[in-house]
Amino acid sequence: MIANANTQRHVDVLIIGGGISGLQAALDLGDQGYRVMVVERRPSIGGRMISLSKVFPTLDCASCITTPKMSAAAHHENIELLTYTEVDSITPGPDGHTVVITRKPTYVNTNKCIGCRMCEYACDTEYPDPFEEGLGSVRAVSVAFTNAIPQKALLNPDYCLACGLCLRACPTDAIEFDQQPRQETIGADAIIIASGFQLNALTVKPQYGAENSRNIISPLALERLLAPHGPYGRVLRPSDGKIPGSIAFVQCAGSRDQTIGVPYCSRVCCMYAIKQAMLLSGALPTADITIYYMDIRAFGKGHEQFYQNARAMGINFIRGKVSRIDPADHDDLLVHVELTEEPENFLRKQRHDLVVLAQGMIPQWNPSEVSPVRIGTDGFVATPDPASPCSTDIPGIFVAGAAAGPKDIADSIAEAGAAAMEAGAYLYRHHVADKRPPTVALDVALSPVGARSG
Amino acid sequence: MDISSEKNTDSGDSAGKLRVGVYICRCGGNISDVVNTDHVAEICRRIPGVAVSKVHTFMCSDPGQQTISDDIRREKLDRVVVASCSPLLHELTFRGAVQRGKMNPYLYEHVNIREQCSWAHKHDPHGATAKAIALIAAAVGKVSRSVPLEKIRLPNHRRALVVGGGPAGMKVAADLAACGIPVLLLERSESLGGKLHTLNRLFPTGEAAVELAHKLESQVVSNPLVEILLNSEVIKVSGFIGNFAVEIHGAFGPSGQTTDVRTTVGVVVMATGYRPYVPMDGEFMYRRHPAVVTTVDFNALLARRDCGDGTLMFDGRPIRSIAFIHCVGSRQVDGVHTPGPDGRLHAYCSRVCCTTVLNQALQIRRRFPETRVYDLHQDIRTYGRGHEEYYTDAARAGVVFFRYHSDEPPKVTGTNGSKSPLRVSVKDYLSWGEEMNMEVDMVVLAVGMTPGPCETIVEQLKLPRGEDGFLQEIHPKLRPVEISVNGVLLAGTAQAPMNIQETLAAAGAAAVKARAMFSKEQVELNPYVAEVDARLCEGSGACLAQCDYDGALTMTQTRRDGHTVRMALVNPGLCVGCGACVAVCPTRAINLNGWRLDQYDAMVDGLVRDIAPSAVN
Repeated sequence: MIANANTQRHVDVLIIGGGISGLQAALDLGDQGYRVMVVERRPSIGGRMISLSKVFPTLDCASCITTPKMSAAAHHENIELLTYTEVDSITPGPDGHTVVITRKPTYVNTNKCIGCRMCEYACDTEYPDPFEEGLGSVRAVSVAFTNAIPQKALLNPDYCLACGLCLRACPTDAIEFDQQPRQETIGADAIIIASGFQLNALTVKPQYGAENSRNIISPLALERLLAPHGPYGRVLRPSDGKIPGSIAFVQCAGSRDQTIGVPYCSRVCCMYAIKQAMLLSGALPTADITIYYMDIRAFGKGHEQFYQNARAMGINFIRGKVSRIDPADHDDLLVHVELTEEPENFLRKQRHDLVVLAQGMIPQWNPSEVSPVRIGTDGFVATPDPASPCSTDIPGIFVAGAAAGPKDIADSIAEAGAAAMEAGAYLYRHHVADKRPPTVALDVALSPVGARSG
Repeated sequence: MDISSEKNTDSGDSAGKLRVGVYICRCGGNISDVVNTDHVAEICRRIPGVAVSKVHTFMCSDPGQQTISDDIRREKLDRVVVASCSPLLHELTFRGAVQRGKMNPYLYEHVNIREQCSWAHKHDPHGATAKAIALIAAAVGKVSRSVPLEKIRLPNHRRALVVGGGPAGMKVAADLAACGIPVLLLERSESLGGKLHTLNRLFPTGEAAVELAHKLESQVVSNPLVEILLNSEVIKVSGFIGNFAVEIHGAFGPSGQTTDVRTTVGVVVMATGYRPYVPMDGEFMYRRHPAVVTTVDFNALLARRDCGDGTLMFDGRPIRSIAFIHCVGSRQVDGVHTPGPDGRLHAYCSRVCCTTVLNQALQIRRRFPETRVYDLHQDIRTYGRGHEEYYTDAARAGVVFFRYHSDEPPKVTGTNGSKSPLRVSVKDYLSWGEEMNMEVDMVVLAVGMTPGPCETIVEQLKLPRGEDGFLQEIHPKLRPVEISVNGVLLAGTAQAPMNIQETLAAAGAAAVKARAMFSKEQVELNPYVAEVDARLCEGSGACLAQCDYDGALTMTQTRRDGHTVRMALVNPGLCVGCGACVAVCPTRAINLNGWRLDQYDAMVDGLVRDIAPSAVN
């Protein structure tokens, strides 16, 4: 048990991050009877995955895979979810770790809020919706998104005019303009870091000109455009709402590039580009779709077959590293590329009306700033023991998913299970006395069925 | 005219008195873009017995589920139907929601209007909408005749059988034993470690494979809860989760004599690994020339002390140039490659070979700088953490890369008397499709992974394989380490090609699922099994003759009206609910719980009932 007298609450495992990795680890631990707390910095759990349209290679709708896990975690008797909460510090100890967290003010009393959205309907101030990657807008007070958990309103003080419309609309008097950040100290016997990834800036390579064109978009924005419940309900390009007729995917636009400090492969971009290309060709059957790539890395189960299907569907795969992107008239773009597979005329300027840059995956959070957990040269959490791929260099602190390097959903889920296993085994070793003693039943286990010559 | 009252009279059952809640999911547009869900909801209100009919954007989301739980209470529902995606995805989700509403979860019926309506009839919205209505009407009919069921509870043998003593098997065993769960670790060869013994330096750490093998081995050997059986194989396995009866053949007596033993385990973990692809005779001159070897052979060569000091030696000859050919036995293309002995074309990527090649290429350039290295690939897939560095380092170390297209694979021929014995030609797409020829002393084929041997268990437990031949998980994201046979788990390369870190992570994921299964004293199974009506069974035995599952049905003697009569008896643990027995019973005495014959009758009535006579809007 934790000795720290200042500890307000104690859990078996504290999980940092409520994305797919954190939720999977929480469910696996909760199912074993451990008490788990999930700390999520955003207003809803679900992570990056909940904002995706469909997922490779099965083309399942992402919500259909994520929402049941979100819901299962929310209803689990052993799991507590703290959303809109930041981790300030982690102090490890041989008998448990101390974690200081800050619950950010939502300006809505979550005990009173019933998620009826009356405040949202009343509010007349809007700002670019972060869930829609800024493509749509959202009211200054709103529930994060349709299938968010918790279904509680959140007020954004940067945009709120304090006009009081929501205050009057709320049937339960839940709006609280005077909320303050609240710090809490949590004792946790084990910790799993599942803080995930973010994409590096769209402008990380200035020669791609994203600063000058709204039609150079992030793959996450395209996910929203492709989602059936996305901002426009269909695929339109941002600058003028035109239905794009020629779409380019520029791969490795933020990874495998030493000039921007991301020499590693981001591992998922090939597959999501292929998936998005397939979905686009379904949504826009007449559009030309081109993927500019260095190597197609379709390495996972069923991925190569998925890639070959995309080729057979008529998506253009062009091997060549894009050198620069220039603006053209009518808000279109000129992609400069060297086609290494063409014998002649291999330096080209190709015109497209929408360009998607495969940004690189970089860590969302750096635990080494608030704890002794070490990160690798790539910035992701270091995992020094090859025999235990989810262990950090601090005993009792584990890592899962993209916090330990770029990873697709399937690999993240597997790793989350492994991290839950490592954490469970760690707790078992340290608390054998609390748990059921090992049942040794081996003496009666094997019974001969008769000798056989041989 | 009051449609519902009229229909209620012909149905003649309790449907009229029931209060059924119907919930229709838009699936965020996946359904509602084709099916007119609002119209469906409106029409469904007319189905006899339906008290509530609602539409939601995401039924599976928390607010969606909450609506169901709340309505059960507020609207006093006693049956629930959800029309959404495939039941494979969300039947359990909604059973949970129903249960939270304090209703028996088996009074719930799931209708698939996504895969079976909106996706299948994309170009016929009217037809899809009409079909959705008909399917829901059938489900309302069926659920009206549902009776509350309880899960079947059976003993749970707290012990795991791990098949395969490679890294995955050792990791699962070590993890489970570390949590106090006894493990029987079975290995067919004479030692633990599996394919780790064929590897040399592991990427990306450079650690010796043998050291990792020893580390994992010491974790299982040091734990008394792990019983290790070497030289052993499963020869017979049957049963179900919590209760698998296993017969093992092996040499594990005190004096090493061969015996068979029988035991019971609760969980079976398939850690049966992979086999390297063996190139066919003549494939890139394999077995036609001794200097054409695989990456597995080459690892063994690099591990040998006598492979050269300053100059790489093979077969007594100095090796001054080597060509590596990627994707041998992987990414095969119909029309270019011939299927292997199993009749399968290996269309998949084996995931590890690219980094393996670059790892070997770098070792050559560092240890034997005089040896030139050529790398012939389709794509370089150094995707993992620390892998891309091998590619950059290899390029810096002077490895020369060529890129070929899958339909124009490189050619390997003999040179007849030239200084080097082999010639490799390739059309290179890093240089605009130029023809390249190189004379080399050795050719190394980067062989992929094929599924490891596990035929006995696969056949006896009827485990599914994917198109690629590897064991097939239920769902890559929802249930990634489970297979369609409950209680059987997948760990490592038995499921798909993986590198060692991925294998260990997958093994951990399997272990955590096994541990969760053991967290309950009893196993709980779905109640969809056959049940015999003692009053109707005449003991014909027709059901027994049809049953495919050993022990699921037996004939017993029972006393009825003062006579001893024969009667069929179901073992609910072994019955899979296939229904073969139901079809042949001459007296309709045997039924499947949850799928009784009168429920089928009600479904047919629902399908043909004319609820929406007017054209669908």
